[in-house]
Amino acid sequence: MSWPRNRWLHRLLGLVLGGIFLYAAHAKVLDPRPLVTIIWNYRILPPGPVNLMAIYMPWLELLVGIALVTGFKRRAAALCSTGLLVAFMVALGINAVRGVNVACGCFSTSAEDVSNAWVLVLRDLPMLLAALVMLLFPPTPRAVVPIQPPTQH
Amino acid sequence: MRGLVRDTVLLVVATLILGTAANLVPGRQLSWWGKGFEPPRIGVDFNFLDSGSADAMRTSLPGVVVLDTRSATEFATGHVPGALPISYTELQAELTPERFGRLRSAGAIIIYGAGDETDVEQLVAQELRRRGLAPPYVLIGGFLAWQGSDLAVVGGTP
Repeated sequence: MSWPRNRWLHRLLGLVLGGIFLYAAHAKVLDPRPLVTIIWNYRILPPGPVNLMAIYMPWLELLVGIALVTGFKRRAAALCSTGLLVAFMVALGINAVRGVNVACGCFSTSAEDVSNAWVLVLRDLPMLLAALVMLLFPPTPRAVVPIQPPTQH
Repeated sequence: MRGLVRDTVLLVVATLILGTAANLVPGRQLSWWGKGFEPPRIGVDFNFLDSGSADAMRTSLPGVVVLDTRSATEFATGHVPGALPISYTELQAELTPERFGRLRSAGAIIIYGAGDETDVEQLVAQELRRRGLAPPYVLIGGFLAWQGSDLAVVGGTP
C-alpha cells in the first residue's frame, strides 16, 4: 500500500489541515483573554494552568498551521497536531459524557458559541486521520541517481 | 525518529518563546497563573428563577433590569421587553458608568441566555457580584423557556 506515502497527498493534507489550524489560531493569537473563560468552562483543568494554556496553545496552533502548510517540519507538526486534536477530543468527550455542551473555542473566542459536544468530537475525527497519515506514513524519499563522472575519451 | 523528536522540541520551544513574548505586549496580557476563577455559586453569586416568576417580578416590581447575554443577532430577532443586551466577553467595556449606575440602583437584575445552558449567565452574575451588586437572578431555560411560556417578546418577526 503506497498511496498514504504519496507526496502530493501529504501536500494536500498539510494544506487543508494547516489552513484549519491557522484559521483556528488567528483570533486567539490576537487576543487570548476570552480563551481563559472557554478553557475554564470545560471544567477539566484547575484554575492555575488555565492561563498558561490560553497563553501558549494559540501559538502552538499557529506554528503547527504554518509548518503543515509550508511543509517545513511537517511531520513534527503532524505529531503536535495529533496531540492537540486528541486533547481536544478527550476534553470534548468528557463534557459530552457529562451531558454538557460547551463553547469549544475551536474557531472563535466567544463563550456563547455553544455546540453539541459529540458533534465537535466527530468533526475532529477526519482531522485526526489526516494528521496520523502525515505522521505515520512519511513520503518515500526520491531515489537518488548518482552523478556519473564524465567518461574520458 | 531522532529527527522527529528534535523537530517537535523545536516547535515547542518556538511556541514557548513566541507565547512568552506575546504575553508581554500590553493590552493582551494574562497573568501567568490563573487564580481568580472560582465557579459561580448558587445562592452567593446568583439565584435561579423560572419564567413565570421572572415575568411577575418584571411587571410588578419597579426598577427591575433584565440583561440578555445572547448575541446581537439573536437579540435583534426577539427579546424580553425592556431587556438590555450585554456580552460577557465585552463586559468591562459595556459596563459604562451610566449602565453600572442603573444596575446599582435596580430593584433586581434578571439575566437570561439562549437556552438550558446557563454558564454565561452565571459568569455575568458572578462578575456583577464581584463589582458589589446584589446577587442577580438567572432565568432557568433562558429565552427558549420564556418563549415556551408564551410571555411577551419584543422585536423580530411575529
